[in-house]
Amino acid sequence: MAMTEGTTPKPKSRRNLLIIAIVVIVVIVVVASIAVVTTKPAKTTKTLTEAQQTLSMTWANVPDLDPATGDDEASQAALANVYDSLVFPTATGNIVPDLATSWSISDSGLVYTFHLRPDVYFHDGNILTAQDVVFSMDRLLTMGQGFSYLFAPYVANVTAPNNSTVVFTLKAIDGPFLSSLVFLYILDQKEVMAHLAPGPYGSYGDYGHTWLLTHDAGSGPYEVIYANLEANVTLEEYSNYWNGTKPNQPKYVNMIGTSQTSTVEALFDSKQIQVTDMWQTYSTISTLSKQPGAAILSIPIPEEMYLMINTAIPPTNSLYVREAMAYAFNYSAIIGPGGPFQGMGYASGPVSPALPGSNPNLTIQQNITFAKKLIQESEYASNISQYPVTFMYTTAVPAEAQLATSFAADMAKIGITVNIEGEPWLTMEADMGNQSSAPNIASVEVAASYFEAGSVLSEMYTPSARGTYFQNYWLNNSTQSLLGNEIANATSILNQTARFQAYKQIEQQIFNMYLNIYVFSAREVRAYYPGIVDISLNSIIPLIGYIWYYRDIGFNATAMS
Amino acid sequence: MNYAVNYVLKRLAYGIISLFGLSILVFVLARVLPGTPVDLARLALGPNASISAINTFIDELHLNAPLPLQYLYWIEGIFTGNWGISLVTKRNVLTDVIEFLPATLDLLIMTAIIILLISVPLGLVAGRMQNTFVDNVIRVITYVGIAVPSFVVAILLQLFLGYDLHLFPIIGQLSPGIAPPPHITGLYLIDGLITGDFGAWVNALWHLILPSFSLALGPIAQETRILRAAVVENQNRDFTLAETSHGLPEGLLTTRYLLKPSIIPMLTVYALDVSSVIANAFLVELIFDWPGFSRYGLNAMLSKDLNAIIAVVLVAGILFIIANTLVDFTVSRLDPRVSEEMGD
Repeated sequence: MAMTEGTTPKPKSRRNLLIIAIVVIVVIVVVASIAVVTTKPAKTTKTLTEAQQTLSMTWANVPDLDPATGDDEASQAALANVYDSLVFPTATGNIVPDLATSWSISDSGLVYTFHLRPDVYFHDGNILTAQDVVFSMDRLLTMGQGFSYLFAPYVANVTAPNNSTVVFTLKAIDGPFLSSLVFLYILDQKEVMAHLAPGPYGSYGDYGHTWLLTHDAGSGPYEVIYANLEANVTLEEYSNYWNGTKPNQPKYVNMIGTSQTSTVEALFDSKQIQVTDMWQTYSTISTLSKQPGAAILSIPIPEEMYLMINTAIPPTNSLYVREAMAYAFNYSAIIGPGGPFQGMGYASGPVSPALPGSNPNLTIQQNITFAKKLIQESEYASNISQYPVTFMYTTAVPAEAQLATSFAADMAKIGITVNIEGEPWLTMEADMGNQSSAPNIASVEVAASYFEAGSVLSEMYTPSARGTYFQNYWLNNSTQSLLGNEIANATSILNQTARFQAYKQIEQQIFNMYLNIYVFSAREVRAYYPGIVDISLNSIIPLIGYIWYYRDIGFNATAMS
Repeated sequence: MNYAVNYVLKRLAYGIISLFGLSILVFVLARVLPGTPVDLARLALGPNASISAINTFIDELHLNAPLPLQYLYWIEGIFTGNWGISLVTKRNVLTDVIEFLPATLDLLIMTAIIILLISVPLGLVAGRMQNTFVDNVIRVITYVGIAVPSFVVAILLQLFLGYDLHLFPIIGQLSPGIAPPPHITGLYLIDGLITGDFGAWVNALWHLILPSFSLALGPIAQETRILRAAVVENQNRDFTLAETSHGLPEGLLTTRYLLKPSIIPMLTVYALDVSSVIANAFLVELIFDWPGFSRYGLNAMLSKDLNAIIAVVLVAGILFIIANTLVDFTVSRLDPRVSEEMGD
């Protein structure tokens, strides 16, 4: 009996145990509370000041800080602020002096001579010379990544006759050469050479790439003070910037590499970021913009969503069918309220209206009656239903599934059956690269690489784009090469007005071929606090990276308190 | 003690063989993913990369060599510090591992501490107070802990304790303006202590609490249930009855004589739970913008980053082996039967 009693704790013992447990839990809670209170950083003046003077934004990824490899949105935003280029873009599409005070172009159009400012110092104190420009171009071309493709087909050599003169000799005339130069960021040769690591470039090792991923060798208005490739990059204004600092520019900029919605919401609501990334859904941005003092920031960017049409397979080999599809599509449903790409702008033909040289008159509105008439005139009038159209989109962008469904519903109205295929991007890219597996329609968003319509025309419609994700047209060889020649001729016109006129004619020609359905012209849509971040939409340079040129953005540190 | 050393060495030897097998498996799986070497190069370098850049890339990764030869090149690189170039960060994967692993190890250590601090008292109390109100409350708590995924806990904690109450930071390892402690191990918790940079140490600890607790909640629930079951079983055994009949105080009986045999089954699961943080923390790291190894691994998978994928799997494998060896050793010290089997 005694043994039996022993198997069960006595009530008193239970109480003791409960007391012990409560004491343990209370101790844990108290210790944790003390830790929370005592570990909260002291709000020293320094910390508060830095936090208050920091413009924080989220981005899709942490910037790649090497000018030879970083070519995405976040990387370019950081690079445009940390480095200088010879010339600078303006909001209206012009090119103005930057590191170069002036330049001349030879009569042949093949030799560009730039004269540099004498008073530019890199962040480490070295003076910027023409040799640094030569080094930067050589480095870009040797590494062959990032924006090197803008220069590789044209640049024969670069020389520095003296410390303040740089001469570029081209292999062929490149009309947009000056526009492209905004992406030639000038690095401090001495600094880079002091940080070489083993790599594939012979005596140049890795060309300083590993070091440059987390440091900078620039002369721009901001310098890198912290970089973690999985978290964020922090920039601080460069007090010795040759062009001076502006009183209202943010002293610090924190570029956080996350677009995780709940995190972005929490950060924005608590004003720990003042501008969100552009990858949130419109409903998220709309919700965030309802915070006190918040608003929606919508910036047109040179990027467009295309439904690229295969002209080599039925029924889209018929011009009538392609035109009918373009008129049957409901554009407003896609970018209007509740649409999958709400907040985007109407497209106007093959080139985004944000780009200088685009033709603004190439618009289409839904007209089902006219679309049906076109089908009736086509060679598939009697049997269109027997030729289903394959619509391929990438599952990486969920909104495209909704776009595909909407497209299918519209096409049903004119008797076209649509088979929707969502694919991972790599699979889609592979399918588009092969004529035998290319779909009737491929949904792809394309961004301009330099600030002219010629950028998009060269990227998408020249023979070199065949078999890449930049086109899904599979034009016959003669048409393709004719188009390619016209684009090459246009980009080799030195006179900007004449060049833009040539672009517009080519755009009209492409438009008339109904190679695409132009879904929308993209916009950067973000939530922000206008009382803290002062952005003038009229002065924004709608070019990748330069949109977020922080020196031109006002920051109200007082409002942050 | 020599036997114990032999035992550990034997386990480590098994571990190395396992790692070798794992490396072959992961290497082959990573290399047979769809796409040609040129596709892979374009993926890494961008669609406009020059032909020479693509060729350099392919040569560097030996992508045109037969698979067995590629593996040998890779193994050689592992031992010479060249772990291959990451397609995402575009630098040596070893550099990435050295940079990102410590942040996750900080998380892992804190998570391990939180699990022990909470699950052991809860398990003991629940076991000793079997089928009482307290036991039922703990049971409900553990069910919730098991049922709710860590990323949901992370978001809730972030929003409630971070955003609403401002008790904890929402993201990151350190507050703006706080410099990391001088780099020794890369673990802020350890470097802060070693270098005496208590400001950074305290700040790092403050940032660790929410992500660590998010990761710990599931294991806490699991370990509590296991410990409770063991306590319930052991408290009905003869040795407990004998000790109770000898009038041993309740507290002493529980913490000294009941805990030791009861904690053994929990320890094995505990080791697996803690070491799995390295692979499973990616969502929590994403939510708290934690610059850790797990998030690096997720990005590697999504970007088809061959070298990084292999490195992540291998490092996770190494940590699993170390954790299990440590636990086996600890169990052998706690359980005389195991110790006897080892001949100690």
